[in-house]
Amino acid sequence: MAPTQTSESPADVKVDTAAIRAREQVTARRVVFAGSGEPLALIGAMVVLIAIFSILNPRFATIENLQNVLNQASLPLIIGLGATFVILIGSIDLSVEGVMGASGVAFVLLSANSRGGQDTGIWAWVLPLLLAAALGLTSGLIYTMLRVPSFIVTLGMWFVGFGIATILYGTDAYPELTDDTITLWVAKITFGLPNVFWVAAILTAIMAIVLRFTRFGRVALAIGNNEEIARSNGMPIIKNKIFIFIVAGLFSGLAGILATMQMGGTSNHIGDGYLFITIPAVVIGGTSLGGGKGGMFRTAIGVLLLTILNNGLVLAGVSPSYQSAVSGAILVVAIVATAWPQRGRLRIAK
Amino acid sequence: MTATISDTGTVAVANAEKGKRLRTAGKLWQAGGPLVIFIAMFAVVAILTPAFIGSGGITIVAASAAPILLVALGQAFVLNIGSIDLSNAAITVLGAILLAMLLGPLAFAAPIVVLAMVTLFGAVNGFLLAYTQVPSFALTLGTLGIFKAASLVVSGATTVYVSQNKDVVSPLYTTQLAGLPLTFVLGVVVAVIAYLFLRFTRAGVGMTAIGKNESGAIFSAVRTRALKIVAFALSGFMAGLAGMTIIAQAGSASAMGLGSDLLLPAIAAAIVGGTSISGGVTNPLNVILGALTIALVPIATAAIGVAAEAQNLVYGVVIIVVVALTLTRSRTAIVK
Amino acid sequence: MTKAKEATTPVLRLTDVQKSFGPVHALKSVSLEIHRGEVIGLIGENGAGKSTLLKILTGIYQPDRGTIAVNGATMKFRNPRDSASAGIGVVHQEQSLFTNLTVAENIAMNGAASKGYGTTFGFYRWGKLNKAAAQTLEIIGSRLNPKTRVGDLSFVDRQMVEIARAISVDTSKNATPLVILDEPTSLLERGETAILEREIRKLKDFGSVIFVSHRLDEIIRNCDRILVMRNGELVADRVTTSVTEDELFKLMVGHESHATKHERRARPVNETPAIEVTGLTRKGKFKNISLSLHPGRVTAIVGTSGSGREEFSRALFGAEKFDGGTIMLNGRAARGWRIPKAVKRGMGFVPAERKVEGMVGGFTAAENIVLTHPGDAAFGPFLKPWKRNKIAQQWFTTLDVRPNDISQNLERFSGGNQQKVVMAKWLNDPELRVLVLDHPLRGLDPGAAETVNEQIKAACKKGTAVILLADTLEEALEMGDDVIVMRDGIVSASYDLTVDNPSTLDLLERMV
Repeated sequence: MAPTQTSESPADVKVDTAAIRAREQVTARRVVFAGSGEPLALIGAMVVLIAIFSILNPRFATIENLQNVLNQASLPLIIGLGATFVILIGSIDLSVEGVMGASGVAFVLLSANSRGGQDTGIWAWVLPLLLAAALGLTSGLIYTMLRVPSFIVTLGMWFVGFGIATILYGTDAYPELTDDTITLWVAKITFGLPNVFWVAAILTAIMAIVLRFTRFGRVALAIGNNEEIARSNGMPIIKNKIFIFIVAGLFSGLAGILATMQMGGTSNHIGDGYLFITIPAVVIGGTSLGGGKGGMFRTAIGVLLLTILNNGLVLAGVSPSYQSAVSGAILVVAIVATAWPQRGRLRIAK
Repeated sequence: MTATISDTGTVAVANAEKGKRLRTAGKLWQAGGPLVIFIAMFAVVAILTPAFIGSGGITIVAASAAPILLVALGQAFVLNIGSIDLSNAAITVLGAILLAMLLGPLAFAAPIVVLAMVTLFGAVNGFLLAYTQVPSFALTLGTLGIFKAASLVVSGATTVYVSQNKDVVSPLYTTQLAGLPLTFVLGVVVAVIAYLFLRFTRAGVGMTAIGKNESGAIFSAVRTRALKIVAFALSGFMAGLAGMTIIAQAGSASAMGLGSDLLLPAIAAAIVGGTSISGGVTNPLNVILGALTIALVPIATAAIGVAAEAQNLVYGVVIIVVVALTLTRSRTAIVK
Repeated sequence: MTKAKEATTPVLRLTDVQKSFGPVHALKSVSLEIHRGEVIGLIGENGAGKSTLLKILTGIYQPDRGTIAVNGATMKFRNPRDSASAGIGVVHQEQSLFTNLTVAENIAMNGAASKGYGTTFGFYRWGKLNKAAAQTLEIIGSRLNPKTRVGDLSFVDRQMVEIARAISVDTSKNATPLVILDEPTSLLERGETAILEREIRKLKDFGSVIFVSHRLDEIIRNCDRILVMRNGELVADRVTTSVTEDELFKLMVGHESHATKHERRARPVNETPAIEVTGLTRKGKFKNISLSLHPGRVTAIVGTSGSGREEFSRALFGAEKFDGGTIMLNGRAARGWRIPKAVKRGMGFVPAERKVEGMVGGFTAAENIVLTHPGDAAFGPFLKPWKRNKIAQQWFTTLDVRPNDISQNLERFSGGNQQKVVMAKWLNDPELRVLVLDHPLRGLDPGAAETVNEQIKAACKKGTAVILLADTLEEALEMGDDVIVMRDGIVSASYDLTVDNPSTLDLLERMV
């Protein structure tokens, strides 16, 4: 009963060195282009959209409208940066609109406003942001410590934030900011671009650096890729997650303040609709809901794409009523497209 | 919804530990929790505003509980298979708008047509979930946007009033049975049917099996895909019934009006009614108590002197607290 | 390197290590020594205790008794991190790399090194990180670019990264590079295997290797010394030069056992087979598998974990797809083959992962029994729960399920009793034609195993055809009327036990 299997003898091994070389060169080439395919496709799509809308309405391709688009894109981008981090670890933050409401109302009431409130100076910024961070911290703590799935925690926190906004708002008249310098600052043009967009752009750069160059960012990516391995490697998973939710809360809070400045006043409903732009934008940018894959610039591209689409449709005469359908349809198509290759008879989808 | 893409080993451990913990606290909660919470809530309201009980307050609570109950029952079906439907309240509004528009031309046929349409909307959700295997919260968040836009577009972003044949549905609200409006009675009847369906049909038991262990259900030849579609279709159907109660009560509908805030109260009602967000556990009869409890929230918040709209805060807290208290956890499972 | 000095203290010494799971002695006193620069082969059948031993070495299990010493110092591995910081790295079949991070990062993630390595105030110093990784890669002779995303690498390159990670240990803290390769070649192509083997030889220069494989030719080619495990014990420790494949076979199996002579059903001539499979193929999993199984007969399929027999059995049941070939049930072709359809046509399937796939935990035993075939407990789509208990009670009595409480949550039963309930779920189908059993005895005590085997035989008497993926070769030879051996996705041999009388050794030879 001699063994039937024949294999390479050790002598054959030398032959494979060339093969290794070839393979390593292929990988090296792939590194150069790694991950640039999808964003390029999105930028291509953006160019096509711009071309179409320019033909449909000449007002589309003007400097004023470009500034308008950037104005509109800034807040979803700021929220999207926090949301991207949350989604990168495989979680979700649905509390965006509630947190925006809470911080926005707090901001207006702490600033000089038409209800006669006093300007509290720096506190008008600090306290709303602390409130937003506290809401994020609460989400993070309940999520990590009590192990409640993030979508349900943040769904609840959405309405907790909204409730806080409502209570703060009370029943008095709509409070408007009386200090024009604040309200005008956001839309003011500096170096050709609106100030609020500069804020968003700088934050995007900072967050991209955090994701690329800090242990915090890399651990977040590792958690999103495979939390079990991350755990067995002894990574600070809980700390990381809580911090990410605080950051997400802060960014939503900042967006609430900036939205209030844009509007010149606020109600508890200031955040309405932002979740529906942000999440589809993050997802279409290529950040996967499963976690571990994505990035800040991708989100920026996604937000711009979606904003251009909405802006262009309005200029082309489509009713703004369709806006949430556009975002919704894009979200559905994007998640279906990502999930499509992984379909299987035994796969469990909740 | 805890382990969307997780290896089977983790699920096994999770399930094993789930069994251990559920027994004591879980069983107790399922049996009596919803009733205890309802009684406590009722007591609070009764003590703070004694006048409320005497002056037809029960009728008011039952009337406001009716749409919550119907949407919550649909949500309970979806939660029972381990998913969530964030779009069903938007379907309610869309259904109400469609009904308001169609009652004039179609009269008695209108409710049937509208119910058929909303059932189809729900089924589309279920179809996408079953065949593309995307997470339900993201999918229904997307379709929520679509339904919302549809409401705005169909209604022209204004309030749609029922022009004719209002009395096709209005008796649902005006008729009372033992002091309870027919809309609430309808909800109770649906709950009883839902209970019987889940306990006494193969499809119902199959749905619960999906919620408890989808892999096990697949290997037991449960038609998981078809049943997921049915669960979401039922969610759509019941959301449509809720839309009908809104028309019966108000005679008009708008995209931002009555019903647009139903999502959270309905989820809260389902969860307070003992439905588990991780799937496989629901009792539609207890959801009735959950809906009544949630309907008492605005009255209770008003009674303690907080702005009525702050009820949202209470809904949010209630959802988080009840889920946190009743969730079955395991040390090793990964929570997303 | 001062080899003479190293040789005196073994890098790893296990003394009387034992581990039990309940009544099962998975490891009965294992002692071994591994020296620097050695490549040790570890072989043994499924269930011989290899994986328990590996899990103890990697800190997943803690031994009940005995000591582990690294470089002469006794160590306690409380978790995988402890083991990793001692320098023990594993390369699994399922890899444990972060595919979205770079090669350099993954190498730096290794236990001891993971804290603050290459970072300043939490900021990465990519330059330093990449340089360190490049150095480590150079040691093992790989030219991979440290900046590459691991997800972009081929399978064998990822193994290189795992090896690099395993050897990048902090030697100043009494750690030593010991790499455990757990079936590293089972998913590799021939050419890739050669590359891996070249790397293993390089590893000898600075570390030690434990090489676990089913393929004996590989073991003999690559290892200096071979350890053979059987029934939780080390039964042999041989220097490779003094051993042949034949000898190793015999050591692994122990006594050479033949099929026991008992009543078997001869292959009938003029009868429609219960199931007939022709040329069933699924790309990359199994190829051109044919079998014909008559009512009342048992076909046992044996093969190692990469042989494709699991995938094949699942495809038969409609749980996984197949690309080509046909399945005929009772002479009718299977079309649009999915589980509900297969079940309707009289198939049943007992999965290996009992808790995950075999049963619905949270349902009572009775609910599980009538879930698929409710029989009298259903009227069309409606259920009659009051009849459920009678059916369940009958099965509980027949199968002697303990505790005798049909309305208890199935999760609360022991594994053996759960398996009886899973069997009952399928046996409750009076029209059961084909039953596929994937490791039906896994984790069962002997009593429960006997009951399950009796039920399999009883089902055969009633005309059910059985396809059995057995745990052990003895089990296959005892239960089977036919035995099919699979290797690398194809049928490498098949025996009709009413005619042939192969030994376990014969089967093993066709498997590996």
